[in-house]
Amino acid sequence: MAESMVRLQRACKAFPLPEGGTVTALDAIDLEVARNEFLTLLGPSGCGKTTLLHAISGFVELDDGRIFVDGEDVSDRPPHRRPVNTVFQNYALFPHMTVGQNVGYALDIARTPRTERSGRVGAALEMVGLAGLENRLPRQLSGGQQQRVALARAIIARPKLLLLDEPLSALDRKLRQSMQIELKTLQAELGISFIFVTHDQEEALTMSNRVAVLDGGSIQQIDTPRAVYNNPANAFVASFVGASNLFQGMLQSGRVMTAQGDVISTDAAAAGSARVTALLRPEQFTIANGGGNGAAAKLDIGIRQIVFTGAGYEVHGRTMNGHDVVAAIAAAQQAQVASAEISRKATLLYDPAAVHIIAGGGDRS
Amino acid sequence: MRFARRIGTTGLIVYTLLFFAFIYLPIALIVVYSFNADPVNMMRWSGFTIDWYRQIFGFRNAASEAALYIESTDQLIAAVRTSLIVAASTTVIATVLGTATALAVYRFNFFGKRFYRVLLFVPMLMPDIVLGIALLIFFVGVGISLGIGTIIIGQCTFLISYVFIVVSARLAGMDRSLENASADLGANEWTTFRRIILPQVMPGVVGGALLAFIISMDDLVITYFISGTSTQTLPIFIFGMLRRGIKPEVNAIATVMLLFSFTIAAAGLYLRRRNR
Repeated sequence: MAESMVRLQRACKAFPLPEGGTVTALDAIDLEVARNEFLTLLGPSGCGKTTLLHAISGFVELDDGRIFVDGEDVSDRPPHRRPVNTVFQNYALFPHMTVGQNVGYALDIARTPRTERSGRVGAALEMVGLAGLENRLPRQLSGGQQQRVALARAIIARPKLLLLDEPLSALDRKLRQSMQIELKTLQAELGISFIFVTHDQEEALTMSNRVAVLDGGSIQQIDTPRAVYNNPANAFVASFVGASNLFQGMLQSGRVMTAQGDVISTDAAAAGSARVTALLRPEQFTIANGGGNGAAAKLDIGIRQIVFTGAGYEVHGRTMNGHDVVAAIAAAQQAQVASAEISRKATLLYDPAAVHIIAGGGDRS
Repeated sequence: MRFARRIGTTGLIVYTLLFFAFIYLPIALIVVYSFNADPVNMMRWSGFTIDWYRQIFGFRNAASEAALYIESTDQLIAAVRTSLIVAASTTVIATVLGTATALAVYRFNFFGKRFYRVLLFVPMLMPDIVLGIALLIFFVGVGISLGIGTIIIGQCTFLISYVFIVVSARLAGMDRSLENASADLGANEWTTFRRIILPQVMPGVVGGALLAFIISMDDLVITYFISGTSTQTLPIFIFGMLRRGIKPEVNAIATVMLLFSFTIAAAGLYLRRRNR
């Protein structure tokens, strides 16, 4: 890999609190984004993801650490002198300018000749599917169209890096899903790096080459969506990315025993005994016929709620020892779900080889 | 039940009509009487005439010669001219200073900002007569001779507040992320101000300017104290006329002023619409 597109070295930022003291938004973050990579920053609100984005675009000044874009140290440059453009959360379209003027703004600033300008504005609008709407005002457009204008405006200056600050959060679900695909396609066409901020884990998994999960101002895990989902580095990542059933306990000879008395079978071995957290995704479960006698890897639950989700059923239950469990059951097991609904209990089966073991207790669940 | 509702509806309509009559009847009467031919008692309708308009615009004729209350049309024209000069000057000064102040308060955080904001509200709340006397004492004490200059300075002291408040209200509704977006797209602060902030506050600036202009044209109390003996604005001139009895020309002057105010207000509303 050549020199990376963005490199953050020990980026630190703390904000003063009104009542005194400070809150750490970025805690010595190291991050590299490759050329042509689609990286997503994922985390709950207040985790530092927007601060990180603003640090790269220059709206937030770092307390410590350096930022390099395309090999150049931009840490001390003001926002308007960084080769980076942003799609803002609320779009931030200039309300007194037409769509064409909005999109062409960066070219005006760069004093691009008029003929080239109109060609590029037209091409950018075509790229986002808004050809012919140059003379509309932003308020005459739908939310989805405004979002596209913001996108066209941000890519027209051919930035080396595009930052997207939860750009899809204001759109309805259907539009959001189609925009996710479009953004991904656009990123491949443009061949520039995207850093995308979201708190929606589904969005992060769908779109990215890599996902960085943030919490408390530091990166908890950075990896491919598949790895983040299947091999979460800690309990926080496991619970934040996707639905999860976490069992904290002692790992001993192929079994995790929780303090409450639940037992999870696993193929993972440990020398002696160790404190671990076992992760079971809801879709790893099936409902056993009858009592599931003979199966070693099973979990008896009392049914609390069964929800039809279209693709299948979401079974919410609780073990004898009071641990809440969520299981996603495929529609093919309709009969088992129906009998569980009547008897108010079920036996869940899982593959011990698929149980993911996270080292350490993990104080979140 | 239905009957009661009908009574209620009728009552509401009557109330509404009375309400508007209460506000607009006196003004309507002035306009009507400005066309009344009776030169002595204007409450008695004795025929349609435009003589009073001819008179205030300086065209005399035999009929109006008998009832000549304005000694000289030149005096009226001079008063109008003084008012226009004062209003134009104060509008320019108050708009520039008021807008600059509003932008500074919006843009920067500085020590005592809240107190400063309150200080800017106070001149609007101060009783006119107090402000007038205070200004008179100040000008005389400092030794500035009263005249058009003191009127302009005096009116600016409170007109700046009006412009400040109108422009501040506009700025308060502005989206700060637009400035970030502009910077993000490569614009420096000056360009951002010129191309993003200024066009958006413009309706507020124009509104503040029109307000300042109308208030300046209209002000009697404060101006009365600080105008001196040789300078007359239009309101002072009219006030002087009234002291010698209500004459028919006053109706005509009032009607023309009314038309003038409506024109300015209409222009303001039009600009606002176009800018939105």
